[in-house]
Amino acid sequence: MKMAFVQTSCKRMACLLKCLNVRQLSNASLSQEKHIKKSVFISQSSDIYTNLALEEWLYQNFDFKHHHILLLWKNDPSIVIGKHQNPWTETRFSDLQNVENEVSLARRSSNGGAVYQDNGSLNMSFFSTRDQHDPKYNMEIIARSIFRELNCSVKTGREDGLFLRSKKISNEAVKLGKENCYHNMSLMVASNKVTRNMVIPKHGNAPNIGAIGTSTSPKMMNVCEENPTASVSCLTKAVGWEFLRTRALNLVDGGMELAHQQKGFHLINPTDKWFPGLNEIRNRFSSWDWCYGATPKFDITQSFTVPGPLLHGNAGASSTLNVTMTVENGLIAEIALHMPFELNSLGFMGDPKIFHTLKGKRFSVQAFEDLEYSLDSLLDDKHRFVTECVKQVMTCA
Amino acid sequence: MSVVARALCSSSRRFLQGPHAIQKKANCRSIQTTLQVYADRLFTEKHEWVLVDGKVGTIGISDYAQEALGDVVYAQLPDVGTELKQKDECGALESVKAASEIYSPVSGKVLEKNEAVEETPSLINSSCYDKGWLFKLELSNDSELQDLMNESKYKEYLKTQESH
Repeated sequence: MKMAFVQTSCKRMACLLKCLNVRQLSNASLSQEKHIKKSVFISQSSDIYTNLALEEWLYQNFDFKHHHILLLWKNDPSIVIGKHQNPWTETRFSDLQNVENEVSLARRSSNGGAVYQDNGSLNMSFFSTRDQHDPKYNMEIIARSIFRELNCSVKTGREDGLFLRSKKISNEAVKLGKENCYHNMSLMVASNKVTRNMVIPKHGNAPNIGAIGTSTSPKMMNVCEENPTASVSCLTKAVGWEFLRTRALNLVDGGMELAHQQKGFHLINPTDKWFPGLNEIRNRFSSWDWCYGATPKFDITQSFTVPGPLLHGNAGASSTLNVTMTVENGLIAEIALHMPFELNSLGFMGDPKIFHTLKGKRFSVQAFEDLEYSLDSLLDDKHRFVTECVKQVMTCA
Repeated sequence: MSVVARALCSSSRRFLQGPHAIQKKANCRSIQTTLQVYADRLFTEKHEWVLVDGKVGTIGISDYAQEALGDVVYAQLPDVGTELKQKDECGALESVKAASEIYSPVSGKVLEKNEAVEETPSLINSSCYDKGWLFKLELSNDSELQDLMNESKYKEYLKTQESH
């Protein structure tokens, strides 16, 4: 009996101590929080490269220790891939040029998969120091603002985005640096889903490519499907105010009183004059070397059935030709052909010398068409078949 | 007879080995002293570690860092021959949660990068102190090591981090 009493009182003491500890900690974070002011930046540009450059500029140059920033922007139609992604496999690359309204391809410097954006998507980048990075806080801000503005209940339980009726409405990307970090979310408000489905492949149909692919395509929906009054402009304001009225380190609503103590909304004109060096970053982000050339090394292999007549009159026999291309820094590094014996024995060189000139060229059909043009008169049927196969590998990508 | 011969042989072998053995011992001792000075991994406040062996430093990220990052899906490591200064950005790790830049905890020239990690980035999660090392440097400034934390100091540092 006595022992039990001692035990329970011990437990109580431990609990009390724990409470005290927690209180001490929250006091520490409270005093830290008092010194942090918040601003909402709204970019006046709708150019994807400029906006990505602005995001990068703030990440590289700003001190977020006492000043947290929420950068809001929207883009003209574009497809944005993650830093280490492969544009040839993570987008429907060959269709990209055929989409009615031009869709730009951009590579961001944060993680994650390919995202389609247009003027119906709202981009939100939460900037803080790396130590204060808190994705759950950021997601909760957005969920609360959607609830306050549109009366829609958004789930934030999962780390991989915001969900409405178990469909995804946002895409996430994070960049962590030495001191600074940002958490970008792009919210589908009223975005064109038809174009999205045209430019982002459903996985499983992709050719056999050994580079990383992190895109998954869960079912996505627009917020306007839940509440037709939703628009990018109304959510820009709603998310901005929600950010300002919430305390910096704890998810506590401080009401409009707190919002008015912050630094407020700023319309940002992302030019080199205001952000020295911005043009240089924009030029890098819009360059081929970044968008395509920064792709990790990958192999692409395709098999082709060789038509019977090419196999020395052996009309019934079927055989396959395998073409493997290695692409490094977006340039063709190697081409390997595994051809049936019959093609080989008929004088087709085992070493694909005619493809040597392709090495070092950009992995695109254009490089191939140039070569084909100069070779056309020299080729017989067998050569033409093999070159057509090699070309096919490049067009599928 | 044969026993005697064998005994002679073995003793003569031992005799012959004499100087080598002494040298070996001396080597051992010198290694031991370096090990004593930098016996353990040294850590930075940004959760990288360095393991120093003579002039060569092996670099990786700590268990805390890999845990925070989550499943690593891609590692971009510095090329061999790159000259790095302390705190230079020299690569990136991409996990399911974030793209995180890698900073060199010390200055030096890259001697080797861990190609196994480039092939299988999950090694960073499964074995961050052993198979998941990132790259090796030829150290150019030993004095930088003095500012790094040893394991026990780093553990203390982690406790202060968690309270934030």
